[in-house]
Amino acid sequence: MIEASHLSKRYGQTLAVNDLSFVVGSGQVTGFLGPNGSGKSTTMRMIVGLDAPSSGAVTVDGQPYGQLRFPLRRVGALLDANAIHPGRSARSHLTWLADSNAIPRRRVDEVLSIVGLSDAAHRRAGQFSLGMGQRLGIAGALLGDPDVLIFDEPINGLDPEGILWVRHLLRSLADEGRTVLVSSHLMSEMALTADHLLIIGRGTMLAAGPVAELVERSSGHHVRVLTPAPEILGDILRAKGATVVTDGPEGLSVTGLEARDVGIIAAAADVTLYELSTQRASLEEAFMELTRDHAEFRAGEPVPS
Amino acid sequence: MSQAVLTRDAVRAQPSLGAVFAAASRSEWTKLRTVRSTVWALLFAVVCIVGLGTLLTALEVSRWDHRSITEIKGFDPLLWAFGGLDSLAQLAIGVLGVLVMSSEYANGGIILTLGATPQRRLLLAAKVSTFAAVVAVVSLMTCPVTFFVCQWLLASKHAGLSIADPGALRAVFGAALHLVLIGVIAVGVGALVRRTAGAVALLFGILLVLPGLVSLLPSPWNNQVTEYLPSSAGVAMSAVVRFPNLLGPAGGLLVLCGYVAATLAAAAVLLVRRDA
Repeated sequence: MIEASHLSKRYGQTLAVNDLSFVVGSGQVTGFLGPNGSGKSTTMRMIVGLDAPSSGAVTVDGQPYGQLRFPLRRVGALLDANAIHPGRSARSHLTWLADSNAIPRRRVDEVLSIVGLSDAAHRRAGQFSLGMGQRLGIAGALLGDPDVLIFDEPINGLDPEGILWVRHLLRSLADEGRTVLVSSHLMSEMALTADHLLIIGRGTMLAAGPVAELVERSSGHHVRVLTPAPEILGDILRAKGATVVTDGPEGLSVTGLEARDVGIIAAAADVTLYELSTQRASLEEAFMELTRDHAEFRAGEPVPS
Repeated sequence: MSQAVLTRDAVRAQPSLGAVFAAASRSEWTKLRTVRSTVWALLFAVVCIVGLGTLLTALEVSRWDHRSITEIKGFDPLLWAFGGLDSLAQLAIGVLGVLVMSSEYANGGIILTLGATPQRRLLLAAKVSTFAAVVAVVSLMTCPVTFFVCQWLLASKHAGLSIADPGALRAVFGAALHLVLIGVIAVGVGALVRRTAGAVALLFGILLVLPGLVSLLPSPWNNQVTEYLPSSAGVAMSAVVRFPNLLGPAGGLLVLCGYVAATLAAAAVLLVRRDA
């Protein structure tokens, strides 16, 4: 379990992480979601004691990371897949990492085979592709067979097969009862992988909760109606308290009423309907909605020519 | 992963700080021996210590008959024997020592190292002692060799020392220790500066450039300050003749240890205080 309370990190004038409090529980995949530059990596660096918080605290299984002895046996982290000496072989890289926490060296071959790098064990890491580097980084995180796993953007640079593999790995780690925290800037990926979400923007927590609940809460939904008499129906629905927006010559977008109620009202008013459907926003839209004002860098509106 | 790698008890048990230090040292040894630059730098150091020392002594022997009586009287038979160690070998060990820290900052490996051993002072101690041990092995193997070869060359002019002569054995160990301490200072400078180029520049600025600058000071300050520079203090450790403007061997050792302590103390403070 990872617990952060009022965690903040300030770099000069910039508040990179602003008063974050959250709990990452065991037995599930927790997605840490936010646009680039929103403070995900900084938060993860504070969890594993690389950066000291400006204020607040974060603990792993109730202890600050800095107090753990042989922490790789408790917490495995992939923070930067490039953080590997290019001249060292994959095997040597994992060997020094294992040695540092007195992990038996036979484990090195085990994790190499788990991530599918057994055949590349003796190749120098400098010759690795981005995807192979990610796999080696994941191998390093798994080395101590830890209960808590932290992955910063683990699917970067992976091919579709690799992405699928990471998804299954995260799932099976969580199913074994481990705590899995995985960051991404891709909502669509998190929708497939995570059970629980922490969404941040500009260092501030925007939303936290189970994936399904967040979609429901942040996007709401609306009812789409196609009718030959949009003006008449619109007035009736507004009188019932709904918000109605015209959507094309025959279309209405209704919020505040369920599709069922719209159907009953239309039937009572003797209005013909061509279409009546509930429209749910996708997770991606929900995410965009949440972080709209919190993205640090955003493309400008297209300039009309 | 169905089979547990470590038992629950092994995971929960709080290992002693000694165990943390031992594991970190073993890890640092693995790191050192698995990159090629270590092998090349150490090989270069060995060649310089023995080869250059021998070459410089041989040149001295060839010029011996043209030397004046006063020159011969003040001659230190070990001066050229450790000439390679005091110059190029020091350079190689210095760069390698800086790289112990700075290469990890360059390729990002420092986040794995500090993540694996968050006890940062202990980690620095492990890095320093592992590197010092490697340098000690190299210098203890090469310093006696260059001593015996060079003294055998000088014996033809009846100017050679025997290892049983006063100060001879001490000078051999002094030279070996000199190189180890330079290596330790280099690791500390690497931890302070973090960047390879900057750290190497600072280290060799102090060891090679500073003596030149100090010599420009008005007399007698130039000579008084020179005695206490790390380069002079190091050379003093392997001298058997007392030169003017040079401390004795014990004084040299003491001064150099002072520099080591100051560098490591500063490195430890900053390593703990700074974000990775």
